[in-house]
Amino acid sequence: MKKALQFKRELQNALRVGWFLAVRSLRRSSKWTTTLIIFIMILTFLNLVVVSGLLLGLISGSFVAFREGYSGEVIVTSAAQRSYIENSQNLIAFLTHHPKVEDMSVRYGVSAQILGTLTDLPGKNERANQIGIRLIGIDPVAEERLTRFSRFIMQGETLRENEEGYLLIGANMIKKYSAFADANIPGLDLLTNIDIGDRVRVSLSSTDGAIRKDFIIKGIVKSKVDEISTRAFITDKELRRLIPVNKNEVQEIAIRTDEAYAPALVQEIKDFMGNYAARVQTSGEAIPSFLRQVETTMGLLGNALSSFALIVASITIFIVVFINAVTKRKFIGIMKGIGVSPLAIECSYIFQAMFYGIVGSAVGLLLTFAVLKPFFDAHPINFPFSDGILVATPESALLRVVILLVVTFLAGYIPAKIIVRRNTLDAILGR
Amino acid sequence: MIKTEKLIKSYGKGDLELTVLKNLSVEIGKGEFVAIIGPSGAGKSTLLYQLSLLDMPTSGSVSINGKNMSSLPEKEKTHFRLRELGYVFQDYALLPELTAVENVALPILMQGVSKKDALRQAEEALARLSLTDKKHNLPSQLSGGQQQRVSIARAIAHKPHILFADEPTANLDSVSAEPVMQAFADLHHEGQTIIMVTHETEYASKAGRVISLKDGVVVSDMKTA
Ligand SMILES: Nc1ncnc2c1ncn2[C@@H]1O[C@H](COP(=O)(O)OP(=O)(O)OP(=O)(O)O)[C@@H](O)[C@H]1O
Ligand SMILES: [Mg+2]
Repeated sequence: MKKALQFKRELQNALRVGWFLAVRSLRRSSKWTTTLIIFIMILTFLNLVVVSGLLLGLISGSFVAFREGYSGEVIVTSAAQRSYIENSQNLIAFLTHHPKVEDMSVRYGVSAQILGTLTDLPGKNERANQIGIRLIGIDPVAEERLTRFSRFIMQGETLRENEEGYLLIGANMIKKYSAFADANIPGLDLLTNIDIGDRVRVSLSSTDGAIRKDFIIKGIVKSKVDEISTRAFITDKELRRLIPVNKNEVQEIAIRTDEAYAPALVQEIKDFMGNYAARVQTSGEAIPSFLRQVETTMGLLGNALSSFALIVASITIFIVVFINAVTKRKFIGIMKGIGVSPLAIECSYIFQAMFYGIVGSAVGLLLTFAVLKPFFDAHPINFPFSDGILVATPESALLRVVILLVVTFLAGYIPAKIIVRRNTLDAILGR
Repeated sequence: MIKTEKLIKSYGKGDLELTVLKNLSVEIGKGEFVAIIGPSGAGKSTLLYQLSLLDMPTSGSVSINGKNMSSLPEKEKTHFRLRELGYVFQDYALLPELTAVENVALPILMQGVSKKDALRQAEEALARLSLTDKKHNLPSQLSGGQQQRVSIARAIAHKPHILFADEPTANLDSVSAEPVMQAFADLHHEGQTIIMVTHETEYASKAGRVISLKDGVVVSDMKTA
């Protein structure tokens, strides 16, 4: 008890004297060295926050695009082995009156073939200019509300509610616009010689033979979300007329709700559906699983890079403090000689190291949140399957500040301790 | 007040062993001004390190006020030096990042005195050594003599029991050395116990007692006045 009290007093005094020494040492040290060390600390911080943030952001960007451009927060689709969402109309009614559902888009979807060249027959050794595609019937008004669909139009115009005979087609299905056009993927057929205003023939297979109808391409849609850029779109009314059966059963319902409420809504819908088959998922669950794996990989990669950055930074601080202490070995000896406690001397070195750490992370925080994050939000990185943003939350940044400060503390303390432990007289006499 | 008994200090081992202090026994009383003289290599500095607890003797003991100091742990020795001893080094040994007054204030601050009071006491000590106008200078902005006087101010500011000095004027010309020696004489008149190593017999004569060392043994021990 008495010992603890005495130690507390010693520590307080050591902190006070250590502070006195550290402030003066920093104030009278070379401005260049100080700037350089702080610069290294800033880079380390950015390395910790920005590198992993960008890696995650590449994927997060695609998650956001998927949710905003296609799925909404909750998406209901046909169950496996079923061609439509069972009990569709009752579910739509349920959702329409659900207080938590802010918006939704109901979509039809069927498999179809699109024939691009209607006039010439293919040559003997050629395949027809034809592709298989998912043909989606949308309500242009509802779709526009949910996903701002018109922003995906890269050529031509979007669909209007009551028009007929027009079709939108995903850029990745047309050779001229596809991102994969020059990839020469075996079996991947793209439509050639096709553009806005051209006539194409859509055929659906049905039990009573093929249904055919010609459409004029009204627009090309392009997005990093596959569900947009590899599909074809016509109005829901027209698709309903085209299909022979199950005209009231739909294939997709994308729902906008509070993101935090999404899991609860999924459960409510499942409860409502009971034995009727449908796949009900949050946006996150519906994301292609390879993207989620990429996210995990990017996270690991980010952490690995961060750890390297942290190790390099701690070694840097360690060396700086160590050299600083070695060159001041004589003065450390003198301080001990005149009665300054080793603890106080160690405190002074820790304070100096912490100063570098705190200033470095403060400037780093400022750069991250005032400069880099707004910059990447305004100018996302153009990545094949997403628009990369910088993922940096205050919590994750704060965690990294804490990690950096703990490392700085140790990198300041250990070398100081090594030098301070040396024999006093040897240090004074420089032997 | 400070006493050594059969003090032996040797360096090295085996064939290379060099015994610098050989069975040295001296006793110095309160208020004495003792000069330790002798040829180079006689062991004067070594003796001072033992007396000021900066070093550990190979055998024998140093006791201060009847207490055997040699057996104290390092931490308590440091603490004792802080409160009871002052040391003036030959090369001044000021901290280059602290101003004159901060250098002097440091050991006082370490004793737990508030910063304000420590700086005030430091200024008083500097004033005694006629350095008031230089108190905010860094050591690099002071002459050798001034630096040595700052060093003395630092050694006496906390009113130590014993003041040690190892050739305090060795690096100074006679003009700068004069006020430094005067400072020691003044302190002695005020009752300060001083143990000083010096080469110059002229300065030794200012002391009340001269101990002459040669090859680690006392060859003479005389009161002057
Ligand atoms: N760390 C050491 N290791 C080995 N020998 C040492 C060591 N320190 C001192 N010596 C030797 O001890 C002897 C006494 O040294 P000391 O410094 O006490 O002499 P001094 O009387 O102070 O001489 P000077 O007047 O030159 O300062 C010298 O011969 C020196 O070489
Ligand atoms: Mg000597």
